[in-house]
Amino acid sequence: MRIKIGYLYPDLMNIYGDHGNILTLVRRCEWRGIPVEVVALNIGDPIAHGEYDMFFMGGGQDREQVMVCRDLQETKGDDIKREIDEGAAALAICGGYQLFGKFYRPFEGDELPGINVFDAHTVAGKKRCIGNVVAKSALGGKQGTVVGFENHSGKTYLGDGCAPLGTVTVGYGNNAEDKTEGAIYRGAIGTYLHGSLLPKNPSIADFLIEKALGRRGSDLPLASLDDSLELAAHAAALKRAVRTH
Amino acid sequence: MRTGNRLVLALGKGIGFTSRFLKAGGGSTLPGRTARRMSPSFVPNMVKELPLGSVLVTGTNGKTTTATLLASILDRAGMTPVHNRTGANLLAGIASALIRESDLGGHLAGRMGLFEVDEAAFPAAVEETSPRLVVVNNLFRDQLDRYGELDTLASRMKEAVRTLDPQSVVVLNADDPLVASIGRDLPHEVIYYGIDTDRYGSESMQHAADSKHCAECGSRLTYEYYLFGHMGRYSCPSCGTSRPGSQVSAVELEMVELEGTRCTVKYPGGEVTLFIPLPGLYNVYNVLAAMSCALALGVDIETVKEGIEGFKAAFGRVERVEADGRNILMILAKNPAGFNEVIRTLTGGTGRKNVVLALNDNIADGRDVSWIWDVDFEMLRDRLGRVVCSGIRAADMALRVKYAELGEDSLTVEPNLEKALQEGLAMVEQGETLFVVPTYTAMLTLRGSMVKKGLVAPYWEG
Ligand SMILES: [Zn+2]
Repeated sequence: MRIKIGYLYPDLMNIYGDHGNILTLVRRCEWRGIPVEVVALNIGDPIAHGEYDMFFMGGGQDREQVMVCRDLQETKGDDIKREIDEGAAALAICGGYQLFGKFYRPFEGDELPGINVFDAHTVAGKKRCIGNVVAKSALGGKQGTVVGFENHSGKTYLGDGCAPLGTVTVGYGNNAEDKTEGAIYRGAIGTYLHGSLLPKNPSIADFLIEKALGRRGSDLPLASLDDSLELAAHAAALKRAVRTH
Repeated sequence: MRTGNRLVLALGKGIGFTSRFLKAGGGSTLPGRTARRMSPSFVPNMVKELPLGSVLVTGTNGKTTTATLLASILDRAGMTPVHNRTGANLLAGIASALIRESDLGGHLAGRMGLFEVDEAAFPAAVEETSPRLVVVNNLFRDQLDRYGELDTLASRMKEAVRTLDPQSVVVLNADDPLVASIGRDLPHEVIYYGIDTDRYGSESMQHAADSKHCAECGSRLTYEYYLFGHMGRYSCPSCGTSRPGSQVSAVELEMVELEGTRCTVKYPGGEVTLFIPLPGLYNVYNVLAAMSCALALGVDIETVKEGIEGFKAAFGRVERVEADGRNILMILAKNPAGFNEVIRTLTGGTGRKNVVLALNDNIADGRDVSWIWDVDFEMLRDRLGRVVCSGIRAADMALRVKYAELGEDSLTVEPNLEKALQEGLAMVEQGETLFVVPTYTAMLTLRGSMVKKGLVAPYWEG
């Protein structure tokens, strides 16, 4: 059973080590003998019905974000939303997370419409939220914590149509106000945490892989891997987050 | 010299002495920080005392090497630069250099200011030092948590360049599209330098390439070839912007493994062949930058050549040390592009290399370590022997190595830097080389432990 990952705009949205998230998904499939294929989805590329089991989108600079927003509205947005509703997994980070919501409202200029995967909207904020983050999360499985690094000025507010990925214990999170971090809707995760997210939070990587396999009709549990290094890095990041805040 | 500055100087010098005395780390920024706090006009007043004016060196990678190369040339040319030498390249570092190089009456021993500054501090440095020449070597993604976005950074730098005195000269890397865009429509004299041969070009871009889009119209650039990150021979298919012609150009290159690079450089009025005693393409750019500046400042080509060929690497950037019959080659790597060049250097030569990779996340390194995922460690497959990962984020580095599948069996995690160096040395044979690749503050600690062992001199003596 092969899973196929659509990597949205790898040239435009890849600002904070996003390569690490893709690499983690690929390796953790390979190490379990699950064939995996990553396909770049660039501006103008269409998304065929049922083709992809997972989507990934990273963060970008302002100009790139505008180009991507236009393409999502014109060629991909509705299709991505449909695939996720039909069971595809997704991970959207920073700018990608914002565009997976309802809209992004800048200080000046036009609102950037999102693709409505998450019932969430983002407004420009004056303060830049930068630093290590720790969040408590039910999705984190055994670890119970998610660690990462955030760097954003947008403030994201969740509606009732999605759940937060976790509750912030160190750092700012979605909006520096309500202690929420990220969003979950079905198999889709949005988050401000890069750093890179998946290598140090292997249970999130495995959650996404399971969802993607589920889309192919498999509900077998994933074979376990030796995650001692991953968990050591998770623990080190936890300790560091507490010390640097 | 105003009395105010004299008092500030006396105090600054006192602090510099004390902190060196206490071995607190060379006293490189504390005196300057104090001086600037006591007198905000301290730097603008002091630089007026420099008869030959000031030069600013900036860029994400290689500013210390470029500035030190230029200092080596200017010293030989009798221009006696005051150089903020120890990598303390914020404004406090400039102030400290001015304090160190002057007597209590404010008379400077040097005749020209040679200041390396971070890209983010560049606009402020332009304002405070009124430079006669600025050089921008490259713009890569480096500690975005500190600098904000690259495009924003470039436009701020361009605004600052526009405020320069009309007689000032602007030296820019033609091969970096974002840097080259700073020179477009500028009323000042602009000198471009670059590599004008595809001998070491490649057809694909590294992950660390940052500036893939036209600074004028936002379209994706097309490349005939890439040299180092996003540097290469580019053009924009939409608006027709392309790499500007360079006045100082490396037209022939031959890398001699880890020793250095032989190259032929064309410049206005001639051609010179020289040997660069530092490895890697990135050092070719550093040399071209320093040469362009020196020629613009009126230094003759013989002196330029001597300055480069007789160059001793800036501390820690590339340092060769002998320890118990073993060699240590320490190369600083502080961002993806720089790290990729180090990796490219490591893939040269024969045999498997034993390495210590040291990752810290202090403020000077950048708190965010996600950048290691943009480094192409995969290039090292089948090239490494033993690997020791060290530093505050040793586990993150180990994870990067694991996902690059570089051989988990030969991987050790030792967060303590001194112990990691010991372990590294223990795994190389007599006469062999241990490669040590640290981030900035990890490098300072490692160097500190080498000083303690008497292997190298403390850097404020160097
Ligand atoms: Zn263009």
